[in-house]
Amino acid sequence: MEIFGFDMGDAWVLPVLPAAAFAVLLLISPWLPRKGDWLAIGVMLVTFALVIAIGKDVADAIGDGGFHGVARNWEWSNIPGFIEIRMGTFVDQITLVMIFCVTFVALLVLIYSTGYMHGDRRYGWFYAIISLFVAAMLTVVLADNLLMLYAGWELVGLCSMLLIGYYNDRQSAAEAAKKAFVTTRVGDVGLLIGIIILFWQTGTFNIQAILHAAESGAIQREWLTAAAVCLFAGACGKSAQFPLHVWLPDAMEGPTPVSALIHAATMVVAGVYLVARMLPLLEAVRGVPELITGIGLFTTFLAAFIGLAQRDIKRVVAYSTLNSLGLMFVALGSGAVGAAMLYLFTHAFFKALLFLAAGSVIHATEEQEVDKLGGLWSKMPITAPVFVIGALAMAGLIPLSGYWAKDEILVGLDHGPLGKGILIMTFISLPVTALYMTRVVLLTFFGEPKDQHAYEHAHESPPNMTVPLLILAVLAVVSGFVVFEGVGKALGFHSGWLGFVYNLAEGPEEYHFVGWITLLSVALVVLGIAAGVGIWGGAAEPARRLAAFSPLTYRLLLNRFYIDELYQLAIKYVVLAAGQAVAVFDRAVVNDSGVNGTGEATNFLGWAGKHAQTGKIPNYALAIVIGVVVIAIVAFGYRT
Amino acid sequence: METVTQEVPLEHFIVLSTILFSIGVYGVLARRNAVLILMSVELMLNAVSINMVAFAVYTAPTLFTGIIFAVFVITIAAAEVGLALAVILRIFRNRGTANVDEVDALKW
Repeated sequence: MEIFGFDMGDAWVLPVLPAAAFAVLLLISPWLPRKGDWLAIGVMLVTFALVIAIGKDVADAIGDGGFHGVARNWEWSNIPGFIEIRMGTFVDQITLVMIFCVTFVALLVLIYSTGYMHGDRRYGWFYAIISLFVAAMLTVVLADNLLMLYAGWELVGLCSMLLIGYYNDRQSAAEAAKKAFVTTRVGDVGLLIGIIILFWQTGTFNIQAILHAAESGAIQREWLTAAAVCLFAGACGKSAQFPLHVWLPDAMEGPTPVSALIHAATMVVAGVYLVARMLPLLEAVRGVPELITGIGLFTTFLAAFIGLAQRDIKRVVAYSTLNSLGLMFVALGSGAVGAAMLYLFTHAFFKALLFLAAGSVIHATEEQEVDKLGGLWSKMPITAPVFVIGALAMAGLIPLSGYWAKDEILVGLDHGPLGKGILIMTFISLPVTALYMTRVVLLTFFGEPKDQHAYEHAHESPPNMTVPLLILAVLAVVSGFVVFEGVGKALGFHSGWLGFVYNLAEGPEEYHFVGWITLLSVALVVLGIAAGVGIWGGAAEPARRLAAFSPLTYRLLLNRFYIDELYQLAIKYVVLAAGQAVAVFDRAVVNDSGVNGTGEATNFLGWAGKHAQTGKIPNYALAIVIGVVVIAIVAFGYRT
Repeated sequence: METVTQEVPLEHFIVLSTILFSIGVYGVLARRNAVLILMSVELMLNAVSINMVAFAVYTAPTLFTGIIFAVFVITIAAAEVGLALAVILRIFRNRGTANVDEVDALKW
């Protein structure tokens, strides 16, 4: 069904609108009233409306059965007999989930920013770059070929860097932006190599064609393995999996709406999207799904443990994002695409909620460290409860949205091809997550205020900030219910979530209720919350004793296992040292000996030669005579 | 003419010419006074003329080629000496010396 003649094939319009908004804002925003934020918001609203229209179209197409996505492309470059590249869009269920999350959260963030970023010096630039970011992200998820995806991917990284470094009068922000860009670059190189390998082996950039080639065994095994690992490396970079996770916590230097949009709901899930999209290829290689799951699981636990000791609320939420992303990869590794996408969907809401609520706290108290917060529950009657809702959703308490997603992941792991060990580890991660989320809630909103000045200053935020919070809170509560068929049908889809988004190799599923998994997961979450309350509740005396019990562990966690310092050492002693060696070679051999040396040799020859010009006539006469003699000998001498 | 050609072999004239030419070359290279260098150049030119005339008389007496060559050489020598002496005079009046070792302004 189409609305005003707009259907899936017209999806190419989606990135164009925010890109146009970006261009307009870039050029004339200083002269627009309110620096043009209404333009960005209006365009985002229109884009979101178009996403709804496309959603309706997809829902109907799936209802007819046998839906495998709609592609539409145009010739971009054609050298007959050599290369043909076509650019276009591909829309299927995964795409729909992504474009919905991106545009919806972007819309809420833009509205929220009218309050949070109010009066800022670079207000217009902020809205321009957010628009560009949305355009780029839509390009990534709509692209039907890897080249276009890569272009959008890079652009997304650029926007992330620009926005992290938004407060350009702060050295730390510039450093964080550089770190983010360079770290994701390491992944991006892998992605590019993977794309090139695939193009070389299949002759096309088109994703569907490549997936068919991979499944049918048309690609050689070694190259397929290499390409799969390289593509996953790209996903690790953008989605901040170990060992490329170091940029995400530092990215909190950017404004909080940026963290909510880019580093929670959208850009960091680009890696998840890539893996989900290329899953048939990745599953065709033995060992790659295990690799994905392993790294995801490691990141989950690494982030959870580090988050236990962080003192900045934004950092804690950042580490919780890493935690969630790890779980998404764990799900994808076992082929549970529906579960992973469900978690992506619900995570977009509760994580954005957590960030925006944290931003509300920061806006109100001008403080970010929990050492200066506390007792804000009574002072912020909207922000505090919604933050708690977000935290509980994150922990996975039934019936909030996070629970349904984690439940599906656990069910998927139980049925999945990987061992029960992964399932057990995932169960163990539940109470740890609940623990650190409870900690941050208690330290921020309960207990005695630790800084009177911040406490006095605290006030509830204006409606343009609290209304998006409330919307997201509602969604954090109910968005998990889409697994039910009834809810799905009420929204216009023909089934619940798992019948809509599923692993193409396995087919649509229905939601089943698995009793023991539910009971165990809820019990573990409640256990984690209770332990958190016990340790950090009230005066938090047990927390102090725990920290004193093992200062080494506490320091390890607080300093993020010194991974950043390790990288810095590696950069200093390996990368920069190699650079020094090359620089010395370039200076001494190429420049001094080669370029300058040749010039100076010529100079010297000239200097030596000039001494023949004595100006004395007898010398010249002698030269003439000698010359004649030589000619005589050479020309006539051997003819005797 | 025939008695000379039969009595005196050609080589004598060539040797004479060579010796004169060598003396002239020595004079050009070793003399410091510009006028003396000019005299040596004249000597070289005359040596060449002797050579040409000797060859003309001994090998092709009816052609007069060498003799005409000698006439040209004498003419050119005269003109050249006139010019050269004028230049030397100029240099002497300008620099106060006719010593070629001291006229080296065009050095590096």
